[in-house]
Amino acid sequence: MKTVLALCSTLALVISHASQAADLRVYTYDSFVSEWGPGPQLEQAFEARCGCDLEYVAVEDGVSILNRLRIEGDNNKADVILGIDDGLSVDTRATGLIEPHGLETGPLRQELDWQDDSFVPFDFGYFAFIYDSSKIQQPATSLRQLIDSDASVIYQDPRTSTPGQGLMMWVKAVYGDDAPAAWKQLSSHTVTVTKGWWEAYSLFLSGDADYVLSYNTSPAYHVVAEDKTQYRAALFSEGHVAQIELAAITRTSQNKALGRDFLQFLVSPQAQAIIPVTNWMLPVIDGVALPPVFDDLIQPARIGFSAEEAGTSRQQWLREWRSSAAQ
Amino acid sequence: MAQQRRAVNAPMLFAGLLALALSLSVTVLAFYGLIGFESAGLDTSLLSDGYFHAVVWFSIKQAALSAGLALLLAWPVARALYYSPRLWGRQGFLSLCVLSFVMPTLILITGLVALLGRQGMISPWLGPDWNLYGLPGILIAHVYLNLPFAVRVQLLQMQHIPDSSWKLAAQLKLGHWQRLRLIEWPALRAGMLQLFGFVFVLCFNSFAVVLALGGGPRATTLEVAIYQALKYDFNIPEALTLAWTQLLIAGGLFVLLNRMGGNQWLGVDSTRQRWTPRPGAVMQQVHRIVYGMAALTLLLPLLALLPGVLQVDLARFDWFAIARPALITLIIATLAGSGALVLAYAMLLPLRFAHIRGRSALALLLDWLSTHALVAPAMVVSVGLYILLLPRLDLDHWGILFVILLNLVLIVPYAVQQLRPRLLQFDHQYDRLVRSLKLGLRARLRIEWPYMRRACVTSFALILLLAMGDVAIFSIFGSSDWTTLPWLIYSYASTYRMGESSVASLLLLLICALVVWLFEHVEKGARDA
Repeated sequence: MKTVLALCSTLALVISHASQAADLRVYTYDSFVSEWGPGPQLEQAFEARCGCDLEYVAVEDGVSILNRLRIEGDNNKADVILGIDDGLSVDTRATGLIEPHGLETGPLRQELDWQDDSFVPFDFGYFAFIYDSSKIQQPATSLRQLIDSDASVIYQDPRTSTPGQGLMMWVKAVYGDDAPAAWKQLSSHTVTVTKGWWEAYSLFLSGDADYVLSYNTSPAYHVVAEDKTQYRAALFSEGHVAQIELAAITRTSQNKALGRDFLQFLVSPQAQAIIPVTNWMLPVIDGVALPPVFDDLIQPARIGFSAEEAGTSRQQWLREWRSSAAQ
Repeated sequence: MAQQRRAVNAPMLFAGLLALALSLSVTVLAFYGLIGFESAGLDTSLLSDGYFHAVVWFSIKQAALSAGLALLLAWPVARALYYSPRLWGRQGFLSLCVLSFVMPTLILITGLVALLGRQGMISPWLGPDWNLYGLPGILIAHVYLNLPFAVRVQLLQMQHIPDSSWKLAAQLKLGHWQRLRLIEWPALRAGMLQLFGFVFVLCFNSFAVVLALGGGPRATTLEVAIYQALKYDFNIPEALTLAWTQLLIAGGLFVLLNRMGGNQWLGVDSTRQRWTPRPGAVMQQVHRIVYGMAALTLLLPLLALLPGVLQVDLARFDWFAIARPALITLIIATLAGSGALVLAYAMLLPLRFAHIRGRSALALLLDWLSTHALVAPAMVVSVGLYILLLPRLDLDHWGILFVILLNLVLIVPYAVQQLRPRLLQFDHQYDRLVRSLKLGLRARLRIEWPYMRRACVTSFALILLLAMGDVAIFSIFGSSDWTTLPWLIYSYASTYRMGESSVASLLLLLICALVVWLFEHVEKGARDA
């Protein structure tokens, strides 16, 4: 009993110690602030620059950032939100809690074609199917070819994951009204559909499928961190759907100028050199010095829908997927 | 006399009702939080949706099959353990059983795929048509998780068959079948129904495993729909409708099975078993084979983890990064576990009084209330409470306390389930005596303790492990300052670090194993002393 009491009091002590207000509070997702994620390095670099105190408040994932804003409304504690992806931008804007960033988006990469005045992209990646080149010599060269083949595929559930929603848009973009037939065809050689990214990816790594849905940047991790070169992303001729991760300033922030500085910092060459090798996504500006493997990654053409289009049709597409893929 | 009885009961009854109120208030507040948010109503259009029907039907089907299979397959194993107390590694096997029950999804999926997947070690022997994904995968995973638990419960129930029954059976020269029907089955029957309900609810709420091994959207449970509604669509009316559906189905089944099971009649029992019938030589061999196969089945997915671990450069592995989360996990689980045990014990007091006075309808209600946290969807409870508290409290700093509180409340039903039969049996045997001796609370507890010690220790070990494995609650209330070991495992896995994730998983399992071993060792030592 005494030990329990002692533990309790230690706990209370540490908790109360931790509660000191920072100059800039950033809502983000958990893996961003993990020790091996971009969070700690970015914090250090930005704090050295501004002479201020930055604090991350991490929730489970991108969707949870949005949900937290919805729940807290005007009482949120964020100055900046970081880690919403473009698919969520419409809903996030609809909360009325986002302040225009007022930054020049000129230096951003051409292919992003970025004109949004509320959100600033800080990294991006293309959804892509990853394969093991030591097993597959001639990978599929188009989405149609993959779907018409009998190669085994694992992907993520669009009801519970971002990559799953990405594939949903990809199929819709390539097949249009024929999407139901495509899903039906794909389901005949789908191994399984998982709740989230890691289940699918670890099933793939244990050899349970020829292809897994992931990002075009995935091979970079295996090369840089593990020295493994056999994992490749398949380049599809129809083009790929992108996932763009975004940051924004909140309307309720008391420190908008500092928030703007932070967004500016996020797209600076210094931050952009940190993010790709910690978050395993692509930089949003050109001319960043990165490990050579980033030059070998596939560079697909970008297709897909605007965030507005995706927002209005998402439910309809989900229903379509649900009924055709269940066959 | 009546005055005397009330004097003893009143504080205990009060403590019990307080415990019930605490557990109930968490659920009620959570629903209040959801309903109160933008005053959300119900989305009744869902009830006529074909997709919704398919999801509900599939949830019920897979849960019923999983629970049925787990119980059925557990039976021969429990019998083998009962009839052969001197099996090699028996104690270790029983510890392994607790471990399998709390196996993290990540380990289970990786392990099963390494064995039975397309490149699995066992797959070549299963024929060309073998496919893990689909209903087989779901059933295998659920049986793996729940069979060991069922074995332990069944074994415990069989161990409570009084020696006198066996002596009588020997005198009457009952045959094998007669003993099964007249002695074993009555001891198991009531417990079996409750156990079925329990495992059914666990499988009914299953989610990540069902999706990963289910093979596609055909295999969708209600829990997936709840997750989607609450998280991705933030559609609270829909989530509420789904949550009520789940409460009605799972909760209704629970009541039904408890009613059908009735009160357990186990007869007079001593705390120690002295006499077990010895089966014939052939049966002994059968028991040994059954036991060996069960042990192998439980061990294989764990061993399948090793190749992944060996790929990691263990010398360069950051052990310190794991040590702190491991410690935090232990602290959180210890706090939640001890709280839950006390709460469960207190909660069972009103139920015991109701039983003693023969008020079975009240007993059924109290029973349901004390285990209701099992059927209330965990996701709904945590999110509801989160919505309620977030605007009112600094959850970024106090969230960790709610991780403990919610874990505590959610593991209470497991403790209740383990303690209840034993306590009711105690009352049945000793309540009159205790009352006629006019014993006070202290003296009463002193008599109860030796009788309850074993059940307390084993259920504490179980709930401790359950709390140690939590990620669902932590994902909502936790913060990166308090990363727990299971959360770290998922953080590794979600950032390509599958190898590190395997190492952390193995470490978590080792800690769990150590905890179970320690408890059972200490308990056994105390019993033998």
